[in-house]
Amino acid sequence: MFYRITRFWPHSLRLVALMLALAGLGVAQEQTPAQETPTPHEGTTPVTQPAAPQQESAAPRATTPAPPSDVVIKNAYLMTVTHGNIKNGSIYIKNGKIAAVGQTVNAPASATVIDAGGRYVTPGIVDSHSHIALDDDVNEATSPITPQMKMLDAFDYTDKAIYRALAGGVTTSLLLHGSANMIGGQAIVIKHKYGAERDAMLFPGAPPSIKFASGENPKRVYGGKGQVPSTRMGNFEVQREALQQGREYRREWDDYNAKVKRGDKDAKAPKRDLKLEALADILRGKFLVQIHCYRADEFLTEIAIAHEFGYKIRAFHHALESYKVADKIAAEGIGVAAFADWWGYKQEAWDAIPWMPVMDMRKGVRVAIKSDSDDFDRRLNQEAAKTMRYGGATEEEALKMITLNPAWIVGVDNRVGSLDIGKDGDIVIWSDYPLSVYAVPEKVLIDGDVYFDRSLPGLGLTHYKEGQ
Amino acid sequence: MRKHSAFTRQHSAFSRQHSVLLLLLLLFGIAATSVAQQTPTRTKKIKDGQPAHMRTAAPASQVAAPVIALRGGTLLTVSHGTIKDGTLVIENGKIAAVGPASSVSIPKGAQVIDATGMTIYPGLIDSESNLGLTEISAEQMTNDLVEDSDEIMPHMHVYDAFHAESALIPVTRVNGVTNAIVAPDSSDTLPGQDSFIQLAGASATEMLMIRDIAMPFNFTGKERRNETWEKRKFPQTRMGMAAQLRQAFLDAQDYAQKWDDYNKKKESKAPADGDKDKKNEPPTPPKRDLKLEALLPYLQGKKPIVLAAEQSNDLETAVNLAHEFNLKFVLNHVSHSQSVLDYIASLKVPVIVGPIYEKPKPEERFDAVYSLPAQLYKRGVKIAFASYDAHQVRNLPYQAGFAVAFGLPHDEALKAITLNAAEIWGVADRLGSLDVGKTANVVVANGDPLDVKADVKHVFIEGREIPLTDRQTRLRDEYSK
Repeated sequence: MFYRITRFWPHSLRLVALMLALAGLGVAQEQTPAQETPTPHEGTTPVTQPAAPQQESAAPRATTPAPPSDVVIKNAYLMTVTHGNIKNGSIYIKNGKIAAVGQTVNAPASATVIDAGGRYVTPGIVDSHSHIALDDDVNEATSPITPQMKMLDAFDYTDKAIYRALAGGVTTSLLLHGSANMIGGQAIVIKHKYGAERDAMLFPGAPPSIKFASGENPKRVYGGKGQVPSTRMGNFEVQREALQQGREYRREWDDYNAKVKRGDKDAKAPKRDLKLEALADILRGKFLVQIHCYRADEFLTEIAIAHEFGYKIRAFHHALESYKVADKIAAEGIGVAAFADWWGYKQEAWDAIPWMPVMDMRKGVRVAIKSDSDDFDRRLNQEAAKTMRYGGATEEEALKMITLNPAWIVGVDNRVGSLDIGKDGDIVIWSDYPLSVYAVPEKVLIDGDVYFDRSLPGLGLTHYKEGQ
Repeated sequence: MRKHSAFTRQHSAFSRQHSVLLLLLLLFGIAATSVAQQTPTRTKKIKDGQPAHMRTAAPASQVAAPVIALRGGTLLTVSHGTIKDGTLVIENGKIAAVGPASSVSIPKGAQVIDATGMTIYPGLIDSESNLGLTEISAEQMTNDLVEDSDEIMPHMHVYDAFHAESALIPVTRVNGVTNAIVAPDSSDTLPGQDSFIQLAGASATEMLMIRDIAMPFNFTGKERRNETWEKRKFPQTRMGMAAQLRQAFLDAQDYAQKWDDYNKKKESKAPADGDKDKKNEPPTPPKRDLKLEALLPYLQGKKPIVLAAEQSNDLETAVNLAHEFNLKFVLNHVSHSQSVLDYIASLKVPVIVGPIYEKPKPEERFDAVYSLPAQLYKRGVKIAFASYDAHQVRNLPYQAGFAVAFGLPHDEALKAITLNAAEIWGVADRLGSLDVGKTANVVVANGDPLDVKADVKHVFIEGREIPLTDRQTRLRDEYSK
């Protein structure tokens, strides 16, 4: 995907970084199924936003196998992320959920047993910033405000990038709109069940995210066309104007809904506008706001705008200069989705330092290491291990940056990100110590079902047929 | 008028003479029979002048390199195994002793560094980078990566652009990379000529160890001028690329022939056939052509081309072209040539493999590229790794480490970024292993050099300790207060 984009640039290698970063600002919105947004003519309940802020996947079809009812992984070195490591441990997964974790577990004799052979076992990796499986449709770069874009509409569930990340231990990804626009589009959260049909890959119940951007990319895209924004002044003004329009649209609907509630038979529903509706939903707090942002001053401006309009920012993405204002980001409860050590690909990446993730973390910021790339998502474990070297993250802190912390950024930390009872059976069995360059996933389970097994011939996939 | 003409003639004669000298030098003098033979002479010149030293250090002429002993570490010699509890002595910028601590005596007055628990290994060598050619990728004014107005640009020399003060260089060397090939970006079939650098020195002159060491010959299909249907121009296809390359080398052969003819005439001092008017005048030399001239050392097999291909079909086309013109070559990338690994081995040339992170083709298994280094090694191919990058050259050792996860022996992985690279680039007499007499480019880390967790604690280049500071450490320190 990035390759195809960069072919238009003279110096592909260098520009890959730029384009990655450009693409990488996606607005994530977990998809909101169309049926969740009632039309204004239905019933008396006014509706301007999805009734439920969760991503619902359709009922699994025949191609989506039900997870095995009982699975036990035994003889494992469990790295739970939340409660330490357990040597010679076992996990019992019942109906796709972790039912027991410990030295010993009580499982029925009929359970499928996977002997980990003493290997390291971690939760599945969560990538909180990805643009895979979206073909060239990452950026609707025709307007700086496109919150009505739904990445679901571009989701190519057959993209082998989903498989390659799975083979690197990734089980959940947030697929975001790119960073061309100040307000991009609505993301989806997927599970890497490669070989399953489309809707089975959508993370059921994941909250919707929306992608914002700032800085050089919107400037470059629209300034290059002789349009607003071509400056950071333009960037933020475009953003404020859009949010103001969303505020007015929301008021119109609030007024209408109030009239309906009062029994006013003459109340006339405002005309629906998908763009304004999405903006209003941002103000209603329906979205986790994921902002691509680099420079120290821009974090502060984004925070100020969020205060002005009354929404919360979930995470700053890339956030290369976040170490300069980490205390302020921490005070807002905003997360950071970072690169481990990328830098220098553009002016606003010039002050990037590899100590940033740990410096932020020490100031109380919840930090994730993410890929923003169909390359790095294949070895996020190595990227996380860099935080041990740069700043001295502990093993558990490093692991948390690719599991529980990104799960929080995506809004699914109650479902995945650690080996805890009740969580999804998303599990990686590693060939070696996972926080090193030597580790390769041997098996990857999602919802208690093996989706990748390195020992198998061919692609190592269990739910995929050649030519599918 | 006459006067002026006379002057012009005189001037031309001088130029001609000068040109001839240059060409003779080029044909017979500068380039020895191989890179390996040629390089020592050239670097010696540089070293005899002013030894390379840290820009921030005092001038080398004023401060002699200290005698340093690294005591008690694990020595990864690369050339003769691992020595636990070893000692390495650095003197006059060279490795003076290597061995078990029990048998190496530390010279009096030496600065002793306790390396207990540490790993000591040779400075790492990146076999292709763009260091010194770019600062901020998206800022075009900071880029001197490639002339892409034409595809055949062998007369571009990266040393003319190499920016010794680049902030990227300290960032790179603090992770133990001490030497690198600097190559132009790969968007042309013949984008110019590489230089071999050392990552410390007071100026570009000191850092550029070997100029024009090799020439990239790119044949991956990405060099086609087919960005869009509207912008397409020749060569829009691989046929076009091959035809253009072939013509370029034919033109260079023709050019060489013209100079040969001229030189023969000149030596014979015989008048041209019956031309009495020109009896006493030397023959007219051909017009010099820098582009064609640049191809001559490669046509003559004096220097290697770095033949880049990814797919097997491109590889075979490009190798055939190289054979057609008797070009000496090393292979580069071969990322999607898994079906012809035995053929590659049969070529008996080294391979710069990767990057290991190159994505497999959609139909390929996830590890099709990850396992390539091991597959080539098993077939007896000498391999090296390259960052193909500028900002992230520091991550070079992790490519080697990742190859270990897919079957490459650990010592071979380290060799691929030290001794193998030194051999490929003809500097193994000075670099690539911990051996007495070699240049003291030595790194000390607190762990496995191929793993991301290892923290580099000391870097020595020509025996001088490099401060482990760079733009990034300064920002870290400033914001950690």
